[in-house]
Amino acid sequence: MVLLWSYLKKYKIAVGAALFLTLVELTVELVQPLLIARIIDEGIMMEDMSVVLFWGGVMLALSFVAFAAGIINSFYASYASQHTGRQLRSDVFSRVQTFSFQQFQQFPTASLLTRVTNDINQLKNTIFMSLRIILRAPLLVVGSLVMAFFVQWQLALVLAVTVPLLAGLLVWIMKKAAGMFKRVQQRVDAVNNTAQENLTAIRLVKAFARRPYESSRFHEASADLQSSTVKTMRLVEVSMPLVLLLMNGSIMAVLWFGTAGVNTGGMSVGEVVAVINYITRMTGALSIFSMIVIIFSRAKASADRVSDVLQAEDEMEDGRDEAPMLQGEVEFRGVSFQYPGIEQEALTDISFRADPGERIAVLGAAGSGKTSLVQLLPRLHDPTAGEVRMDGRKLPDLKRRSLRTQIGYVPQEAMLFTGTITENLQWGREGATREEMEQVLKDAQIHDTIQELPDGLDTRVGQRGVNLSGGQKQRLSIARALLRRPAVLLLDDSTSALDVKTEKRLLEALRRYRCTTIMVTQKMSTTLEADYVLLLDEGRLQAEGTHEELLRTSELYQAIYRSQYGEGGAGLG
Amino acid sequence: MGNPWTDPFKQKRMEPAAAEEQADKKRAEDWKGTLGRIGRYLLKSRGKLSVVVLMIAVSSLMALAGPLIVGLSVDEFLVDGDLGMIGFVLAALAAVYLLHSLSVFLQHFWMIQVSQRTVYDIRTSLFDQLQQLPVAFFDKRRHGELMSRITNDVDNISNTLNSSIIQIVQSVLTLGGILIVMLYLSPLLTFITLTIVPAMVFGMKWITKRTAPLFKAQQKRLGEMTGYVQETMSGQRIIKSFSQEERVIRSFEERNAALFQAAFWAQTISGFIPKLMNMLNNVSFAVIAGFGGLLALNGMITIGVIVIFAEYARQFTRPLNDLANQVNVLLSAIAGAERVFSIIDEESERREGEEVRRLPGASIAFDHVTFAYEEETILHDVTFQAEEGQTVALVGPTGAGKTTTISLLARFYDPQEGTIRIGGSDIRSIDKEALRGQMAFVLQDSFLFEGTIRENIRYGRLNASDDAVLQAAADANADGFIRRLPDDYDTRIDAEGGGISQGQRQLLAIARALLADTDILILDEATSSIDTITELKIQEALQRLMKGRTSIVIAHRLNTIQAADQIIVMEQGGIVEKGSHVELMTEDGRYADLVKSQHESGSPATLSS
Repeated sequence: MVLLWSYLKKYKIAVGAALFLTLVELTVELVQPLLIARIIDEGIMMEDMSVVLFWGGVMLALSFVAFAAGIINSFYASYASQHTGRQLRSDVFSRVQTFSFQQFQQFPTASLLTRVTNDINQLKNTIFMSLRIILRAPLLVVGSLVMAFFVQWQLALVLAVTVPLLAGLLVWIMKKAAGMFKRVQQRVDAVNNTAQENLTAIRLVKAFARRPYESSRFHEASADLQSSTVKTMRLVEVSMPLVLLLMNGSIMAVLWFGTAGVNTGGMSVGEVVAVINYITRMTGALSIFSMIVIIFSRAKASADRVSDVLQAEDEMEDGRDEAPMLQGEVEFRGVSFQYPGIEQEALTDISFRADPGERIAVLGAAGSGKTSLVQLLPRLHDPTAGEVRMDGRKLPDLKRRSLRTQIGYVPQEAMLFTGTITENLQWGREGATREEMEQVLKDAQIHDTIQELPDGLDTRVGQRGVNLSGGQKQRLSIARALLRRPAVLLLDDSTSALDVKTEKRLLEALRRYRCTTIMVTQKMSTTLEADYVLLLDEGRLQAEGTHEELLRTSELYQAIYRSQYGEGGAGLG
Repeated sequence: MGNPWTDPFKQKRMEPAAAEEQADKKRAEDWKGTLGRIGRYLLKSRGKLSVVVLMIAVSSLMALAGPLIVGLSVDEFLVDGDLGMIGFVLAALAAVYLLHSLSVFLQHFWMIQVSQRTVYDIRTSLFDQLQQLPVAFFDKRRHGELMSRITNDVDNISNTLNSSIIQIVQSVLTLGGILIVMLYLSPLLTFITLTIVPAMVFGMKWITKRTAPLFKAQQKRLGEMTGYVQETMSGQRIIKSFSQEERVIRSFEERNAALFQAAFWAQTISGFIPKLMNMLNNVSFAVIAGFGGLLALNGMITIGVIVIFAEYARQFTRPLNDLANQVNVLLSAIAGAERVFSIIDEESERREGEEVRRLPGASIAFDHVTFAYEEETILHDVTFQAEEGQTVALVGPTGAGKTTTISLLARFYDPQEGTIRIGGSDIRSIDKEALRGQMAFVLQDSFLFEGTIRENIRYGRLNASDDAVLQAAADANADGFIRRLPDDYDTRIDAEGGGISQGQRQLLAIARALLADTDILILDEATSSIDTITELKIQEALQRLMKGRTSIVIAHRLNTIQAADQIIVMEQGGIVEKGSHVELMTEDGRYADLVKSQHESGSPATLSS
């Protein structure tokens, strides 16, 4: 809840105004009975019509004042709460953008989604409610308590027992419920997660005709959510009958002691009635507490979940040096890398060097560490041992942003964002001109295809670019990377869905870009286009050299070559 | 940020008309229908619901009885100082109070169960419906947006059901009771008190006319924002490596601001409701005092009646106030519910006339099939046959329509012209799930679910034994890498699939397909990113698997499909050549070109460049 305070501080004027206006409304409400007493005592009793009309008019005027205060309060309260909500969403989202991949493992997508939407909504509503009604209840309770003591302190002692008892119980329920609401939110995560997975893989689900299985998975997650919601709500709803029971009990006690008191002559009937009246008022105010308990315990759970994200430690520190014009000299020195939680090293003691403009192919079996190697360059991960250098400078010394703007990365899974093709290309470089875009599209061998689309460059591609084929997506991703005019181009098996002819043309076009290129591949045809080849096997650099050298020296390389080109191909070597 | 005092009033206007436009026009006015549908879900637990209503009646009665007994005891015993009877009265009072608390507890106890049960029903029927929607539906929507419906919109309904029903029933009951007492005391003053009702109705209309579309816009924008967040989360690798965080944050801010605007006005204007009620309440108080005073001066009523009436008028407006407040919550729930029902109403994939559950055979025939997607013709007049047990390979440049061809076979889409037959019958007569259930797929994106490796393979055939899973993994040559994982087959894969490479994913996808053991096999570029050593072994396994099965294979490495019974060369959505490898090589056409170009690129000559 500390979190909420720190945000509300920014809107202290709106908060203050809202609270003040609530107070105005409350005052009017409390003054009303006094005015009606005036009308009766001074008007009707005295048979003075003008007094009746005057105070009636004052009452009407005050009603409008309260109304105006209430309407203005709506603006301030909603301003403070909605702005806090917006700010929180914005901060959480921005924070997530700085997450490392380790942190993404800690907070899965579905859970982050719930936090950005569902949890922040809870907080927003809590603020709004707090600024409008919550203040009234405690004020009414305290006011009535004071008045009760003022009227008849001996009888009011009954309240001195029940009210603290009640407060204690409510606080206990609130604490316990906060923990349970946290569980509820976790179950919301689970429901979200199941839904997200299912939607991502909907084709697979359909292809394998697994509707019943998927449904049962989702039904299970929903049932879990249902049962924990029921459990939690049942606990908090106990507070309402509890309030009734204790306060009504107090009335009985007051009646009992009151009767005795009146009999012995220590108290008057009027005093007893007045104290009972105050207890009834308190009960009314306290029943709002049941709602407050729900709202606050939910808010506490949500606030914790939001702070978790905002305060997540970033273990990958940003470097300090700007490096505006990298030449693209890449060096790995004894680099080892291990994914957290996985015993085996993904890369072991890798060393190699690439000169600016050189084209290196990284060849290896599935799981040999090719992708891990490429991802170390834009610092998606940091090596566990050894160091990676660019132009002779250690990567952790460079500003991440400055480093990444000079790297063109084309990941294995071609991912496009919802929007037009132009917008997707602009990811590469925002200020790029139309001509530049067309040029990279031509070089990526996708220009003709895009020309044929109904809206050309302005064609929208859907979620993950569904209406394009795998190969088309790959080439667009390459165009996007080329548009940055990178010093280093990383192609992570990015031509796998291309046919041989297109790939060949593409690789030829790439020659014109003066960048160091690292191509991860499993295809010999791609390897042949490289100046230098790294052969990885189980995370180790098994062999390196030019194609000819490897063909002479490496048995593994020969085997791969033969398997792809058959015996005839071997003859060519 | 400007002046903090005046800023709240200077927020960008959101005209109801603009908000209306945001909402789904078609169902803009159908809130009664939506409420009715929620009601139908609720009525599934009508037994418990009637107990809840009974408990509310009891608690309302007890709430009235308590003060009555207290008043009675004050008048009769306290004033007379009759200590003998007070014990008896207190015992009665204790019984009333206990019953009151108990009935309040029970009504909540059961209501929560009913409402959460209803929420569960709505949520799961939404999800089940999503499973039955055609693939084209998902092409056009962001996952996050759909997820927002499953959670945020359903959550809105949930919050309403938890509290509103009890509130509404209670208000209506109390209102009726108080009205009767008031009429009994003074019909004239009752009439005057009731004059606030039209004002209230008018005010509520003014407010809800504005808030209803605002709530809809709010839910819609929340969905859009969720969609955007979801997309950027799954695209983190790209955002990071392109250092596009600022750009992403900027476009997030646009959506965030849009949501803020709708939410601000929805909350502000709906916040008027209790204030309006309060004012009417106070006005009626003043009117009663004024008018009552007049009447009393003329001796038409006593002062006591005014006092009681003022108190009752308060009690009368309180349930009205509660009701009005619920209208608000209800509106926001309806906005959510409409978004949920609009999906449930989408036309599902299942159609009439798809009765055949068992494939009549395994031969596949495309007969003059033409398919267009959003006005763009993707396949044009495609005709070919695959006899039972044959392997047909589709080759051609990207965008030629190979993937579309198999999507049609799986009935992810239906062609506009021509027919596709399996075992001689039109696939449109076959139940979609049965059709797909009798084919095994290895698709372009090899997706892994959160769970263990074993569970992921078993997805191919849910009732497969452990041995069968191990066998399939071994046949797909996945056994080797799985054994090297920390917990081998029980290694958990998280949502991001960390530590499992793309190639390994494909091995698992192949194992999954092997386990499915069906008459028809469909492979889409599955072998393209697996290293050649492993691929050789997979080829073996696939050869074994293909024996006796009809297979449609899309692959780019031409030497891997030389053994196919038939090779179909596609270009720009049409078939340009078909025949066996030998036939096509002698024909010296497109296929021969492709094969040659692959060998050329492998020749040492290109290396010297």
